[in-house]
Amino acid sequence: MKVLIIEDNQELARNIRDFLAREGYICESCDTLEAAREKLELFQYDCILLDIGLPDGNGISLLNLIRAEYKDSNVLIISAKNALDDKIIGLEKGADDYITKPFHLAELHARIRAVYRRKNLGGTSIVAFNEISLNTDTFEVRVLDHLLDTTPKEFDLLLYFIVNKNRVLSRQAIAAHLWGDYTDNLANFDFVYQHVKNLRRKISGAGGVDYISTVYGLGYRFNSHKAE
Amino acid sequence: MKLTTKFTLWYFGIMLFVLLIGGYIVYYEIQNKLSRVEVVRHQRLNDLIAEQVRTGGDYSNHPTRKRATVTPIAADSVPKGISTYYTRGIGWNPEFQENEYRLLVTSFYNIKGQWYRITTYSFIPSFYQLLPGVVDSFKWIFLLLLVLVIISAGLISKYILAPFKRTLRVIQSFDLKQKTVIRLPDTQTSEFRELNVFLQKMTEKAREDYRTLKEFTENTSHELQTPTAIIRGKLDLLMESDIRDEQAILIAETQNALERLSRIHSSLTLLTKLENHEYEANTTVCISQLTRETLNSFVELIQLKSLTLLTTIAEKIYVPLHPSLADLLLTNLIGNAIRHNVPPATFAEDESEMEAEEGFGGQGGGLIQVNLTREGLIVVNTGRQPQVPTAELFERFKKGNSGSDSIGIGLAIVRQICDLSHFTIDYQYRDGFHCLAVGFSPRVAASKLLQNLSLPLHSRA
Repeated sequence: MKVLIIEDNQELARNIRDFLAREGYICESCDTLEAAREKLELFQYDCILLDIGLPDGNGISLLNLIRAEYKDSNVLIISAKNALDDKIIGLEKGADDYITKPFHLAELHARIRAVYRRKNLGGTSIVAFNEISLNTDTFEVRVLDHLLDTTPKEFDLLLYFIVNKNRVLSRQAIAAHLWGDYTDNLANFDFVYQHVKNLRRKISGAGGVDYISTVYGLGYRFNSHKAE
Repeated sequence: MKLTTKFTLWYFGIMLFVLLIGGYIVYYEIQNKLSRVEVVRHQRLNDLIAEQVRTGGDYSNHPTRKRATVTPIAADSVPKGISTYYTRGIGWNPEFQENEYRLLVTSFYNIKGQWYRITTYSFIPSFYQLLPGVVDSFKWIFLLLLVLVIISAGLISKYILAPFKRTLRVIQSFDLKQKTVIRLPDTQTSEFRELNVFLQKMTEKAREDYRTLKEFTENTSHELQTPTAIIRGKLDLLMESDIRDEQAILIAETQNALERLSRIHSSLTLLTKLENHEYEANTTVCISQLTRETLNSFVELIQLKSLTLLTTIAEKIYVPLHPSLADLLLTNLIGNAIRHNVPPATFAEDESEMEAEEGFGGQGGGLIQVNLTREGLIVVNTGRQPQVPTAELFERFKKGNSGSDSIGIGLAIVRQICDLSHFTIDYQYRDGFHCLAVGFSPRVAASKLLQNLSLPLHSRA
């Protein structure tokens, strides 16, 4: 997947680049609207990460151009302003999703994948990994073709794990993913633990490999190499 | 009291004062003029009598002598310098056989070498006879003035105060967020003109300050969130590198602190936005629907904590509230009720060795009750006795349980939303239940809602 990061903060852009590069994405970044326009003219991107506040203007203005000329690209707005107006205007102008700083990189990745799935896979909404397959339309999980009885949160959690496989997912990142911004996440770690525990039990129960392991002190990881 | 009424009352006071003094002056002047006229007449009479004495002859039955006494006196008892004086006082009126007010005029004449004192008198109206006339006339004057003042005060103030009232109306509808400057009506009255100039400046300043503050908030938000995002990203990346266990702990602790920082920051930014009235309720939201949705989103947490959920949600309740705020309000209230939920069994054990398990069948025994009616929303949950008075929990960074990990800002946000929307709110702790009520109408006090609340059947006894 080719990703264009339009973000004026070099450090943040590098974080994103480093993280996404490990997924095998080709990332390019630029820090002004002008540079972004040039890049867009020259290359085709699957996904554009657009910061709203740029030194030479508001990122929203670029949205019009993207929507008019490069319809196939997904646009994900990154904004520090948790201002409602920005969110609504951004989504109305054709952005596919909106993420507020400070975000977890795993969350950003999950959003990119979700947007990509919605748009590019044309109807097939199956995310599969070895014996596990998830249907993002019906929220069904199958392990070795057995339908798993999962709650919506467990479904979310498993999808999050599979999208970010082989990465350490901190409890904070998981809590933020499952319960959003306004819940007091710190107290939700018990719930994270409970959900992960239940999910592992259900997968193992259906004969699946227990891919999820605890990472000491930090959180959890979905290990793809456990299959062998 | 209205300005016009105040003016009128003061005016009455001054009028009364002036009329009282005026009455005295009028009385005095009339008395004086009457005496003066009488004195002149009596002088002429005295002169006439003196002339009669000079010519000689018997005039004792002459009409001039009716109220006159002629007394020859010694030359040395004639007062020096004056030939006539008059006195006033009570005297006997033989005609009516009673005492009356009398004016005596005494003149001295030297007739053919002999000094005579000639005194004549007449009866004039006394103070008490004149007074009713004066009082009566002033009463009528006063009444007339009264009517005129009341009528004119009404009419004139309407005319004079019109620009002031227009200014008031403009100011009342002033909104910090409005984009345009306020337009105040022109007026010829210099005080009002000054007032308008002042208001114009003040509102402009207020708008300017508001804009600066808003910009500052947004900038801070922006400037702080970006570094936070960078740190978080670096930690995410660091986590995946090859690290030892103790480093993992360090990273985890850093992450916790960072999480807290970002949460406090976004909560404070939100509170500032609320205080700046950035979320105005232009429409109503269906709170029944939203409550159900919020409960649904929490259903797994409720199950994980094995809480019993009791709901009574009335259908189609609409309240004037910004949808985001309604969402925040419900999420905070219900989230709190879940997070701080402690089954009574747990803390009953701490307090005494009573057979706690029996009272609460089933596992856990924790309970949440959500009642939504036309009057308001009540959220009840089981929990430990708060260590500080419940009212203080609405303050920022106040926590019922200092050990908990929450940052203690949720209720401050709840209260801010309630204040903004003119809702009433009350928080009570009763027999192991935390009861929080939000009254949707300023007329219905939230405490009233709690009074009528019947607590769930599970009680500690």
